[in-house]
Amino acid sequence: MTKWIRWSGLVGFVAVVALLVAFMLFALGPIIKISIETFGSQAVGAKVDVEDVSVSFSPLALTITGVQVADKESPMENVVSFDQALANLNVLPLFLGKAIVPDLSLQGVVLGSSRTVSGALAKEEVKAEDKSSDKKSDGKASESDAKTANTNTDSKEASKALPNADEILERETLLTVTEGEAFQTSFDEHKASLDSALANLPNDNALKTYETKLNGLLKGKFKSLDDFKQRKKELDTLQAQFKKDKAAIKQAKSAIKSAKSDLKTKFSALKKAPKQDLDNLKGKYTLDGAGASNLAALLFGDDAGPMAEKALGYYEKVRPLLVDEEAKADKQASQDKRLEGSFVHFETDRPLPELWIQNLNFTMALPSIASDQSLGVIAVTVTDITHQPEVIGKPIKVKAQGLNLHNMKSLDLNGVLDHRTSPGRDAFDLKINGWALNNVKLGLAGLKLASSETQVLAKAVLVDGDLNVNSETLFSKAQFVTKDRTVFAKEMSAALKNINRFTVNANAQGEVTDPSVSIKSDLDKQLKSAFDKRIGEKQAQLEKDLKNKLNKKLLSYAGDYEAELKQLNLAEGGLSNKTKALEKLGKSKMSSYEDQLKAEAKAKADAKKAKAKAAADAKKAKAKADADKKKKELERKAKEKLKKLF
Amino acid sequence: MLNLLAKFLKLLNGDASPSQISLGFAFALFVGLTPFFSLHNLIILFLVCVIRVNLSAFLLASAVFTLFAFVIDPVSISLGQALLNNPELTQTWTQLYQSDVWRAFKFNHTLLMGSVLVSLILFIPMFVVSRIVISVYRDRLMVWFEKLKISKMVKASKFYKVYEKLGA
Repeated sequence: MTKWIRWSGLVGFVAVVALLVAFMLFALGPIIKISIETFGSQAVGAKVDVEDVSVSFSPLALTITGVQVADKESPMENVVSFDQALANLNVLPLFLGKAIVPDLSLQGVVLGSSRTVSGALAKEEVKAEDKSSDKKSDGKASESDAKTANTNTDSKEASKALPNADEILERETLLTVTEGEAFQTSFDEHKASLDSALANLPNDNALKTYETKLNGLLKGKFKSLDDFKQRKKELDTLQAQFKKDKAAIKQAKSAIKSAKSDLKTKFSALKKAPKQDLDNLKGKYTLDGAGASNLAALLFGDDAGPMAEKALGYYEKVRPLLVDEEAKADKQASQDKRLEGSFVHFETDRPLPELWIQNLNFTMALPSIASDQSLGVIAVTVTDITHQPEVIGKPIKVKAQGLNLHNMKSLDLNGVLDHRTSPGRDAFDLKINGWALNNVKLGLAGLKLASSETQVLAKAVLVDGDLNVNSETLFSKAQFVTKDRTVFAKEMSAALKNINRFTVNANAQGEVTDPSVSIKSDLDKQLKSAFDKRIGEKQAQLEKDLKNKLNKKLLSYAGDYEAELKQLNLAEGGLSNKTKALEKLGKSKMSSYEDQLKAEAKAKADAKKAKAKAAADAKKAKAKADADKKKKELERKAKEKLKKLF
Repeated sequence: MLNLLAKFLKLLNGDASPSQISLGFAFALFVGLTPFFSLHNLIILFLVCVIRVNLSAFLLASAVFTLFAFVIDPVSISLGQALLNNPELTQTWTQLYQSDVWRAFKFNHTLLMGSVLVSLILFIPMFVVSRIVISVYRDRLMVWFEKLKISKMVKASKFYKVYEKLGA
């Protein structure tokens, strides 16, 4: 039996395996370091730097130190960095190419730290440098701009209580502008089509020429049949031209009619637009019951906006890793059905995705708000991190809890990122209790929230890129101060003095990249009555300014529309005259040469007849005269006989 | 290719034990027909190193069987699928699936399951048949073969030079 055993082979095998293990011991760390840097950079689109990776074998664990993940958008900043990560690994799944990490703990986690070298990838480095130099110059420019702006703001701040008419018109979408642009476009289009139609019409000179030509053709005798034919031909040509001109006039008339009707409708809408705009703006910017909601947005929007933007920015950076990997996994699954064969999975209570971090723990300093002091530390636990949640059948869960908090009693954040089925659903709940929010600058009239005790309840749900956030912040024991000396600031401060408890409801809905945010507060209602009385005067001035500016806008669009309209009416009248003239000319007809001969014969016969009649009449008159003469003679003789008798 | 053929002839015409050569061929089935980077191949390599298997035969046959694998893979996949999806065996597979060790062997992979089974089925026939063929060749055919005209022609060819270089 022993003759079948090759002892040298056994020694060789052991030696080879030992060599491999030794290689792993020394090379695995650098290989993992290069892998994290290479694949990490590809995944986030910016540099991922790792200082060192060391491997220990009993138990199998990785220690990764000095990790910096650069921000793609801002290469001189890190999205996240941490000093050390300690990861335990399950050995057997590694033979299946699956990294199962029961525990991963991070130390020294910092969000948004600055970098000493650019984190842009090689291809984008040049662009990034350009951008950063632009940014620097922009930064300088904006710094100087900011300084100027500050000076201006300081000087103007006193007068800047409500936004002025120009600011409002600048920031709002105005119906006057929309209607005005529509009118302008329509006006230009109609003008072009009218110019083209009018250019084809006969002018007065052309009409006179037609008349002269027509007279020449119709008057005078035909000298011969050829003369008749020639004239007839010319008349037909002229009449064809009349027809053509009449058609052109008809087309021009129709264009004028359509232009008048369309422009009239649009002009009527444009005329109404400033009033509608004014009504809308009054509703929005007056401090009445409905419009006062904007006050809350003005007060708290400046702070809430950037914070929400930052939070969404981090979510946006993480989301593609969850969503894209799902698609990749599907693609991989379809590829596995080829000749390479595929895995058949069976029911198990220990599923193995490609990467599974079962527990991730880290602590992180909370950002400071309104003061240099940090709010404290937050301990974060994330469970079941994987891009294949459908394999483990569990969603990713996030739990964050405040520790050693300053000015805050408690902070709890719970999140569930469920991508087991498509579309995924991510939900977060935030609860903050007893937050002493002091010296918070508000976005209006130099107001500061000097002190308050705040309670925040917020819920965010993201489904397939759609965001739905509802939050309620209760401010109690609130005290406001302002250094502004404007009437508005004083009135505001006076009104706020009596208010020490109010809630602010912030909602955000829509696409995660561009949600529509609304902030409402019962503070508005509380302020309403105070403002209704006090700032009426300023309100009236603002309305007057708005009205004037909107009217100016209207005039800029309407221009000399009235004059153009008169011109159109005149042109329409002129066209009617031209039509009549052409119709009259068009009715002219030429008799035939035969008719002319017949007419001549008839004229001769008529003359002869008239002559005979005249002779007969003369004869008759003579006979009558003779009879009258005889009659008178007989009467005279009879009278003389009678005289003789008596 | 010539090298491969020359090596094969050298092996056949050499003094190596037919059993050791045949065992090399049989073990090569696993390395050639199944996916190389699998845990079971580590065991095969261990056995090949420890047991007196002819290493030349093993390496040569591994290369040849890797070429065969392109043809056999579809059959292996179908076989693996049939076995892993067989309802009567589901309980067995489910039990094995609970063990990290078995999963490390990727038994639930269709190609691996099929090709290992094909290799196991062919292992003994390959050993027996190749042993008989080598013995018969050496006893009866080797002398006759060398007397053939074609063999003489081959000896004069480039191929034979390669064969000689290998120390035949």
